[in-house]
Parts: sequence; C-alpha cells; structure tokens
Amino acid sequence: MKQLLSNKNSINIMYLPALILFAVFVIYPFTSGIRISFTNWNGFSQSFSYVGWDNFKYLFTDKNMLTSFINTLLYGFGSTILQQMLGLSYALLLNKAFRGRTLARMMIYLPVLIAPVIMGYMYYFFFQYNYGALNDILMLFGLDKLDWLANGNRAVGIVIAVNTIQFCGISMVLYLAGLQGIPTAYYEAANIDGASKFRQFTHVTLPLLMPSIVTSVTINLIGGLKLFDVIKALTNGGPGYASHSISTLIDYTYFKNQTAGYSSAMGILLFIFIVIVSLSLQLYFRKKEVEY
Amino acid sequence: MKKLLSFMLVLVMMLGFTACNSGNKAGGKKVKLTMMTHFQSSENVTAELEAAIAGFMKENSNIEVELIPGTSEYEPLMKSKMASNDLPDLWTTHGWSVLRYSEYLTEIENEPWVKDLHPAIRPVITSKEGHIYVLPMDVDVAGIAYNKEVVAQAGVDVTTIKTWGQLFEAMDKVKAMGITPVHIGGKDNWTVGNFFDWVAPAIFITDENNYSGEELKTGTFDTDKWKVAAELMKTLKDKEYINVDVLTSTYPDSARALGEGQAAFEFYGNAVLSEAWTYNPDAKLGFFPVPAYYKGDQPSLISGERTTIGIWKDTEHPEEAKALLTYFAKPEVMKKVASANRIPAGLVNVDSDTGKLSDSYEQWKDTEAFPYFDREFLPSGMWDTMCSTGTGLLADDMSAQDAANKMLEDYKKLYTE
Amino acid sequence: MKKRTLWKTIVALVISIIHILPFYIAITVAFKPKTNLSSRWLLPKVLNLDNFKMAIEKAHVLMAIKNSVIITSIAIACVMLIGAMAAYPLARNRTKLNRFILNLILAVMMVPPLSILVPLVKMMSDINGISTYWGIILVVTTFQLPMSIFLYTNFITTIPNSLDEAATIDGCSRFSIFYRIILPLLKPVTASVVILTGVFIWNDYQFSLYLLQSPSKRVVTLAVSTFFAQSSTNLGAASAAALIAILPIAALFIFLQKYFIRGMVDSAVKG
Repeated sequence: MKQLLSNKNSINIMYLPALILFAVFVIYPFTSGIRISFTNWNGFSQSFSYVGWDNFKYLFTDKNMLTSFINTLLYGFGSTILQQMLGLSYALLLNKAFRGRTLARMMIYLPVLIAPVIMGYMYYFFFQYNYGALNDILMLFGLDKLDWLANGNRAVGIVIAVNTIQFCGISMVLYLAGLQGIPTAYYEAANIDGASKFRQFTHVTLPLLMPSIVTSVTINLIGGLKLFDVIKALTNGGPGYASHSISTLIDYTYFKNQTAGYSSAMGILLFIFIVIVSLSLQLYFRKKEVEY
Repeated sequence: MKKLLSFMLVLVMMLGFTACNSGNKAGGKKVKLTMMTHFQSSENVTAELEAAIAGFMKENSNIEVELIPGTSEYEPLMKSKMASNDLPDLWTTHGWSVLRYSEYLTEIENEPWVKDLHPAIRPVITSKEGHIYVLPMDVDVAGIAYNKEVVAQAGVDVTTIKTWGQLFEAMDKVKAMGITPVHIGGKDNWTVGNFFDWVAPAIFITDENNYSGEELKTGTFDTDKWKVAAELMKTLKDKEYINVDVLTSTYPDSARALGEGQAAFEFYGNAVLSEAWTYNPDAKLGFFPVPAYYKGDQPSLISGERTTIGIWKDTEHPEEAKALLTYFAKPEVMKKVASANRIPAGLVNVDSDTGKLSDSYEQWKDTEAFPYFDREFLPSGMWDTMCSTGTGLLADDMSAQDAANKMLEDYKKLYTE
Repeated sequence: MKKRTLWKTIVALVISIIHILPFYIAITVAFKPKTNLSSRWLLPKVLNLDNFKMAIEKAHVLMAIKNSVIITSIAIACVMLIGAMAAYPLARNRTKLNRFILNLILAVMMVPPLSILVPLVKMMSDINGISTYWGIILVVTTFQLPMSIFLYTNFITTIPNSLDEAATIDGCSRFSIFYRIILPLLKPVTASVVILTGVFIWNDYQFSLYLLQSPSKRVVTLAVSTFFAQSSTNLGAASAAALIAILPIAALFIFLQKYFIRGMVDSAVKG
C-alpha cells in the first residue's frame, strides 16, 4: 500500500473527480451534439432523419456563417487587444499611490461583477436611437440623432467596446498584481545603466509581466471568442446578420430558425476553431516564457 | 480563506432567515400542477391568472397549482423542454398550439366548452385533422393599430381606408406632420415577420378570385404573389413611411411610440395597445381592418391566439389539469382574464370587458377575420424565413424578388404531405 | 507632491465616471415609473419606489439572491477543491498522458455552452436534476473547473520541486505532501480563482435559464429577466431588480477588495 502511494503515477487519481465531471456534463452531451449535427432535426420534435454531411457542406456556402466567423475573430482578438492596452494603461496609472486610486480601481472593476446580459441592456439604453442617452447629448448640442447600431461595422465596434469596458477590470487587476511583483531593484539597476523610461518598460516591465499577460490574454480571448450575451442584448445580431458571432448564430439557428442539426454542426466547427487558436497561443506563450 | 468562507456562510444564513417566505407547507397527498405562461411577471394578465388559480385551489384543496411567468427566452426554453419531453402540466401556446406544440399536447376537442368556441378562434386552434389542443381564454382579433389623435390631426378617417393606395395616402399625410407613419421595432425580427402575417391574407386568401389557400396547402407557392407582399414592405422603407431605426429599435419602443403619439400605425396584435397604455394611460388608441389588395375585395381583420392554454400529453394528472381548464372556462373566470387583455373572450358565452377598445370592436364587429397566415397556410419553420427575409429587405440586402425566391426555397424544403 | 499627482486624480476620476455611467442610467430608469418619459439622464423629481417593490414582490429578488449565494458559494468551494486536486498531478507529473489531459481540460473551457445545451438539458431532466441546487451546482462547477485548473497548474509549476522531494525523504506520501505542503501555499492563487470563477458563476444566465425553472430556485439573473417578455417589457422593474442584485456582490467585493488584490499580487509574484 505504501509503495503504491509513493508511486509517482498514483497521484493521478487526484484528477479523476474533475475528469468524471467533464465526461458526464461536457463530453457526453457534446457527443450527442455531434450526432444531432448529422440530422435535419428542428430542435424540438421527436422525429427527424439523418442527412449525412449536408449540414457541414452547407456551412461553407452560407454567407451568414462567413460574416459571423469574421465577427467572431474581431470580437475575440479585437477586444483582447483593447483589453490588454486599456488594462495595462490603467494598471500603470493606478500602480502608484495617489488620491482617488482605490476608488478608481473599484469603479473600473465594478462592471466585471455585473452579468453581461444586464450590462448589455444598460448599454443599449445608451445607444438606442430614440430615448438613447447618447442621442440625448447630441440633441442637446443641436446635432442630429444617430442610429448607432444600424450600421453593421459600427455595431461590431460598439459590441467590442462594450465588452472591453466591462471586462478590462480583470486585465487591470492581473497587471496590477504583476507590476507589484516586479522588484524595484530592477528599475534602479536600469536607471544606473541610463536606460530611458521607454526602454525600461520594454526591457524590464513587459518581460516580467509575461505571466500576467498569458493569464489575461487567455481569459480575454476565450471570453471574446465565446461572446454571446452582450451581442444579444445590444444588437441581437443585427442589422440583418451583420453583427452575429458564431455563438449568437448558433442560438439563432437552433431556436429561431429551427435548424438544430445545422446549428450543431456550427457549434462543432466553433469548438474546433477555438481549440486550434488557443492551443497554438498556449504553445507560443510557453516558448516566450522560456525565452525570458 | 476562512474569512471569505465564513462571510459567505453568514450571508447565506441571513438571507435564509429574511427571504425564505416560501417555506414548505405541510400537505398530505396534494396533487401538484405546474403551469407556464409566456407573459412576464408584471403584466395584468399574469395577475388575473394568479387570481383565477387561487380561486381554483380554494375549490379544490387537494390540488396545488404553480404558475411560472415567462421571460424573453420562453420560446427557446419550451423548445428545449419539448426536446427532452419534460414539459409542465399546462402551458400557454402564444400562437403555436397547432403548428409547433400539438405533438406534445393532449387533444381536448371533447371538452364541454368546445361547442362555445368563438368563431374567430376556432379555425386558428383547429388542426388539419380537426383536433383542438388548447382552451382559448381570449381571442386576439386585431387589425392595424393606430393612434386616434395623430390620425385625426392628419385629417385621416380610418373608416375610409379600404385599399393600400388609400393607406399610403394616409401615411403621406401623417408624414407631412413630421410624425413617423409606421413603427416597427425590428431588433428582434419577429416584429418584421408579423407585418407579412398582416398583409399576406389580402394577397393570398381574402379575395375569392385570387384565393391560393388550396395550392399553398398542397405544395405550390406562388412567388409572384409573395413579391407583392415584399414590395409593400419595400415601399414602406423607400418612401420613408417607416421609422429610421427599424432595425435597431424594439417592440417596447413601438408601443411607446404609439402611446406617445410619435407613430401613427403599427402592424401588431392588440397586445401592443395594452403595452402602449402602460406608457401613456391617456392615449387614444384603436385598430382598423387591414386594407384589401385586389379590386372589389373587402378589408379584413387578423385573428390569433393570445392566452391559450393546453395540457401536456404525458402529464401525470390529466384529470386535475382538465379540471383546471374547466374552471378557467367558467364565464366569471374567463371574463376577468380576457378583460385584463381588453380583448374578446375565447368562448361565445363569455362577455369580456374590452374597455378602451370596445368602440373599435363595436365598429368592426361585422368585418371578417382570418387566422395568422403562416400558421394556417405555410409549413412549420417558414415563420423565421418571413422574419429574416423581411429584415433582409429592410437592410437592403435583398430585393423583393430575392425575398420571394428565398420563401419558395424554404417552402420546398419544409413542405411535407 | 500633491500637484504632481493631481492630474492622475483627475484622469482616474474621468475613467471611473465612464465605467459607471451605465449604473447611473440604470438608477434613473429604476426610480421612474413607466409613464415618466423624460430623458434617461435626468433623475426623477420624486423618488418612485414602485419598481423596487415590484422587483421584490413579483420577481422575488431577495429569494433569488439567497439562491445565488447558496449556489455560488458551494460551487466555488467545489471549483477550488476539485481544481486544486486536479492541478497537482498535472503540474508535477508531466507525462504524455497528463499533458494530453491538461490540453483536454483547456479544450473544455472552450466548448461553446450552446452547442451542448439541449443534450445537457435532456440528460439533466432524465436524472431529475432540473430545478435542483445540485444540478446547477454540478454544471457550473464543471464549466468553471478548467479556469481553476489552468490557474492552479500554472501556480504549482512555480513551486520548487525540491520542497516535495525533501518531504518524500521525510517519508511523506505524495498525498500528504499535497495536503500538508502544497495546499497551504495555494492561498494567494485561490484568491484569483475565487474572483474569476465566482463572478462567472454568480452571473451565469444560460445554464440557469434552462436548468432552474421553478420560481423558488430562481437566481438573480433570472429574476431580472422575469420583466422581459416578447410582448411586454418593464425596464424600470428590471433595472431595480438588477440594482438590488448587484448590492450583495458589490458589498462583498468592497469588503474583500484589499484581500483580493493582495492575493492576486502574491500569486503573481510567485507565478
């Protein structure tokens, strides 16, 4: 018994509970999803028939699918990049003590605590054409009202902005933590060497922030690629299909369009795609971390 | 860590004491029924349904009924529940008792109240095979909703609007006053599909000389006729009769615009009038029949489900569920629920109080009403095609011909014998 | 000194205002009756509490907060415990199998919940897990576990292996090493796990919508959504419910804010 317990591989049983949960609540339903993707099921009837690869073939001819695919990339990478920039700037600003620092940290983090679906509606109050808060301001200055969400590209931009504003608090906290972990001695040494502030930032701060960057980028990227609630509340995928992400399009085709089989095929494609993106990102970061 | 955990524990306990008012009531062998509705919790009709259920439980102390009000995700929720065949004992079918829910509902055409069904709702809730699945508490006989004050200011008399040409003239007059003639809140595109349910009957059904009902039911879809409907929508857009934010505003915005007098006409069921009055209780609102399209044809009304309740086919308590419906069918009970929506009751022996809408109902009582076009004449699944092609038209992604072609494509895909 | 930081104070103030503007709008909407059609920037002249009354009476928002607290706290405890346990072998035993499993777990993090939703609901209804605390707790735990395993694994990798080896020489089994040596060291990263996963669990809408159908089990996001229906919406009451629902978690955050940030700092120093 004792020998067994000291065997290196015996501790592997510690991840069994996690694996069981995954098997029951993710992998099993996911395989059902794969089965559905080969049918013409409408999402609620007990009768359906198998249609082979039709759904997957249709994926590559569906122009709404293409739009939503591009949007998903924009939501994923766009908001990740913005969140890092904003989060890091906030962290640099709020790292040193001054009056109002604690309050600002709290206010920036507060939106993270709100359910995205509620946040989406709060921002819808802003961007609405009639009664919208932003247009009230435009009218105050005698300008014409603007239908903010009516233009597809602008709608995508607004969704990215709202998602960024809501979740840059996470990046900020992670970067704050990273910054405070950098020993001041490094900067002193850099000062003695006569390095400029900018060089200090690129050669000391950034490399040492790498662990924070990895965590923050991973969390934000996955969140961005899976973005759903905010889009639903702000634009509902519109105008037309212009701001759909794959997630919202899956929801739309499943429940509204009643093509659950096709919707499942889309879900599988999204899954494969996100896995590829984030695993390659992991590999890239692991290399980077080793380099530094 | 301990601090955090203990804090949470204290919070749980505090809330447990203050908010736990739905404690378990002691009860021997109570039968429990669950009923889900698509109405949200602060609507009048929800309160009336709750009151009716309370009355039922008073009479039947062995039955407990739980009413679950809906959310905006009622439809997906019900679809997921159908998929897993795990449905509540009773639920409301919001226009889909036959086309979507019938597979899971109990056939109740032998109930005693069926003989009294309102003539306008009977065809709506009767399947091809003649089965009936729901008790209609009310019947949503509707036309084009309008704001009386705005229309009067524009010098329009709705009783003279018999054709689409006359309706467009009226819109011109409204537009000249700087008021939006038509409001559609198309962010959620069902509002766009609804427009086609309003105009399609005049093109396909109401005129005897141009009746296509039989061909639609036997597998022929006339794209030229649908193109006419699509072009009507295009006209609204091109002539700027419609609100500019048609693709980003919501249904509540439509209701508010109508109530505030910022819009004149809307193509919705009468629920929009109730909702408009929640914004402005003093608004003067009503409805009038949808104009005819062909020469010699008459304007018509649209009739649909509003509060219709069906029983799950696999419920464990079919007798109790039927007893609840029988109770709901009592004139004094039904009257209150139908009056909450200010529309006629679903049974002819019940006289509901249509309140502020009584003049409209009186005015159009002899106008013929037709069921929602897609529920009656199109295969299941076409509803979304109507909605999405409509949005495509409004976003200028599609021409009227494209929309009609897409309709035909999906019709062929979805049509079964 | 004061002058030099003044600009920072001003910038921070402006940023703060931008971030909390939507809350201000939600407040003005919540305190107005539906018939008040004034601009959303304007506070009402008379504070109207009807919406809050409605949120408490119709949406049972207090009961929803209780449910959310129960579900979130138990789920967080599970996410912490199961996550830390799973992370230990994955960080220490870098075999091919374990590497594969780690990647599998990260892949789970990326499964779009929608693509498994209907089969999941079907399964849960087969095992009578609909509208139960345990049902939703197991599901949200499963979906937050990858994040927790990801953070714990990264963290444990940075704990020197020599600690384990020294303990092995002292005759400790691998399990007691985890329990006695590793677990106490995990405190700081646990703060990150709690903040990041706790917020997602508290705010979960999709799973709760389909798995918690009985009104007595409703959580806060569902309570807010009871004022939205296709043909009728009560934005004021929804805003009021949302504001009430924010209070406990905001209070918790303010109360534990220092602890959270310190924990994040500690974990980053070592991570």
